[in-house]
Amino acid sequence: MLAVMYAGGPVSSCLVLRFGSRPVVILGGLMCGVSMVTASFGSSIIYLYICVGIIGGCGLAFNLNASLNIISKYFLVRRPLANGLAMAGSPVFLCILAPVNQYLLDSYGWRGSLLVLGAIMLNCCVAGALMRPVAQPPSSPPEQKVEEQPNNTNSNLKESCLKNISFFDVSFFKDRGFIIYLFGSIMFIFGAYAPFLFLSAYAISQGIDEHSAAYLLSFMGFVDMVVRPGTGLTANSKWIRPRIQYFFSFAVTYNGLCHLLCPLIHSYSFLLFYTFCFAMSFGMVFALIFECLMDLMGPQRFPSAVGMVTIIECFPMLLGPPIAGLLVDITGDYKYLFILCGSVIFTGGVFLFVMNIYNDHMLKKEKNAKDREQNQKNMEDQDHKDIKRTPKAMMEQTEFEVTEDNGAQGDLEIAETPN
Amino acid sequence: MLASWKQLIFQILLLLISCRHINTTSPDPTPPPLVPIDSLPRDVRRAAFKGEGQIEKVELLNPVNLELVCTWTGHQNKESNITGFWRKDGLEIENSHLTVQLENEQYQLQQVFNIVSEENLGNYSCVFESEVKIDFVVAVPQIGEIRDKPVVTYVGDSGVITCKMEDSKPMPNTWKWYKANGTDKEEIFAAAEPQRYEIKNNERKTKLLVNNLTMADSGLYYCGAVYTLSTSMGHVELKVITYYEPLKPFMAIVAEVFILVTAILLFERSRSKKNDTEGDMMSDQTNTLSPGENNGLEGSSSMRQRKT
Repeated sequence: MLAVMYAGGPVSSCLVLRFGSRPVVILGGLMCGVSMVTASFGSSIIYLYICVGIIGGCGLAFNLNASLNIISKYFLVRRPLANGLAMAGSPVFLCILAPVNQYLLDSYGWRGSLLVLGAIMLNCCVAGALMRPVAQPPSSPPEQKVEEQPNNTNSNLKESCLKNISFFDVSFFKDRGFIIYLFGSIMFIFGAYAPFLFLSAYAISQGIDEHSAAYLLSFMGFVDMVVRPGTGLTANSKWIRPRIQYFFSFAVTYNGLCHLLCPLIHSYSFLLFYTFCFAMSFGMVFALIFECLMDLMGPQRFPSAVGMVTIIECFPMLLGPPIAGLLVDITGDYKYLFILCGSVIFTGGVFLFVMNIYNDHMLKKEKNAKDREQNQKNMEDQDHKDIKRTPKAMMEQTEFEVTEDNGAQGDLEIAETPN
Repeated sequence: MLASWKQLIFQILLLLISCRHINTTSPDPTPPPLVPIDSLPRDVRRAAFKGEGQIEKVELLNPVNLELVCTWTGHQNKESNITGFWRKDGLEIENSHLTVQLENEQYQLQQVFNIVSEENLGNYSCVFESEVKIDFVVAVPQIGEIRDKPVVTYVGDSGVITCKMEDSKPMPNTWKWYKANGTDKEEIFAAAEPQRYEIKNNERKTKLLVNNLTMADSGLYYCGAVYTLSTSMGHVELKVITYYEPLKPFMAIVAEVFILVTAILLFERSRSKKNDTEGDMMSDQTNTLSPGENNGLEGSSSMRQRKT
């Protein structure tokens, strides 16, 4: 289900670009609901794989992509906070659904539980109904042409989708910032889920009773619930927002460090402290992971970018936990799992940090080069024309042209432009 | 000649008395074999008195000669002789009163019991001076890991009930399944109804599969771990429900979703109608992204897409 959810990204982004977020989320909610309800009538594991895995995964993919897209369309000034709040939904539902699920299983068995969970997932349609389409500006002609032809045939839709995908594929990989982000997030996703999955097993192996081990996970959910909007709020502040990529790399490095330090001391209170730090860093990374991509790509390119990122992230997500589990089986000790995951994530974080410094340095250089080119061009133009304007006005004009330019600009300079 | 006749009559009388004794005390249809007492293995269990309500568990699988030894250090003023006796299941065992002497600063009471069948199992207590008591619970290993919540299944579906004997306890010889019928237990024979019942035994685990469930199949099912001495029972409840049970919350939630979606869409439509009648311009400024900036940011490769 997770594999299909992440692999369905490009299809979802294509649909979102064509139809907008609202119909896609409503369709996704319906698919999720239908998948659970049909699964409740099944009698074989293959049937469950198809229902919950494929249909449910597709529904979830549509929901994820379209929801992220609508955040990027609705918000700009308070986008990090919006991202943090949206990502906080995950731990909230984790905490609520755990006891609800237990109650449903005890009252109705697994079939009834799937039926009721399918109904709960239909609430995604309510979320979809709230996603009012953003008003498109009527000035730009190419968009108007698309509006005037609502009766696209299916082949047209497929053609435009494929064209969009293939076009953006190549151009994304030319973007330095995108490549850096992609590598960093691949390394993070590889090591992120394994400690989460093996935490209670590790606690039990350390001699802690099952009840306390289960309590660790709910404690993690609570901390995560608070940290995600908190991180969004912090990232929105005027000191952090220009340096959000560094904040993201710090969060990833902190996560890696937590895992590396976990196997050092064996006591319940230390494990609790580790869970707290893990939950905090996990929440911070997930609150920022899509915000950083939006920051890099912008609302136009974001739908296709997120589709591509999710389909590439599919591989480390599927490989990470089994490799970690294999390591535990071979060595018989959980500490190697934490060392492996911690070192991969820590390396990813450091890579992000260093490469972001390099990227900003290169962006500044490119911007300076372009500024010089512009200045030279203006000077040449000025030589050919009569001197009508004062030099001060000329400087203002070059600044104005530079800010309007689509060329690369440094972060701090954008931050300093007045609201 | 007369002496041998007397001996014969005496032996026949003795035989008759012992046969009658066997018939009145054993409820089983087949009487237990008269095993010579000396050939049974001896199992010794000791307990020293520590405090009130002391219970020692004795797990037995096969017939043994169980020797129970109780020791007690006594009061402050240690008398040289005290009385002690044995109880079984709260009732005093006949002829078990003994006078116990003080040896090595403690009193010791010991007795050998023949544990050969189910009625010999129970709660044996040694009592000193009618005040100090140690209980020995003599039983076969009890099934510990058993589901306490009912197993919920649906009509027409098949249900599985499992029973497991822990690894720390000895393996049973075999397993048996019973269905509760009022206060009685009826044994389930899988061979008699192979389409409905299937029993899979696996040394420590046993599974009962019930196919094609009906409402009548609900109730308590007992799994019995059979040992030579006795069978230890565990029970699991099976609940059979129809699809209407989970359908009620399902329909409630679907109705709620439908109402909310319709309400949101209707509200939006009424608001957009109101805006159209007020003016031509779309006046909702929910998005803080102005169109000019939107166009300006398009197509840039590495520029940061933010505004503070």
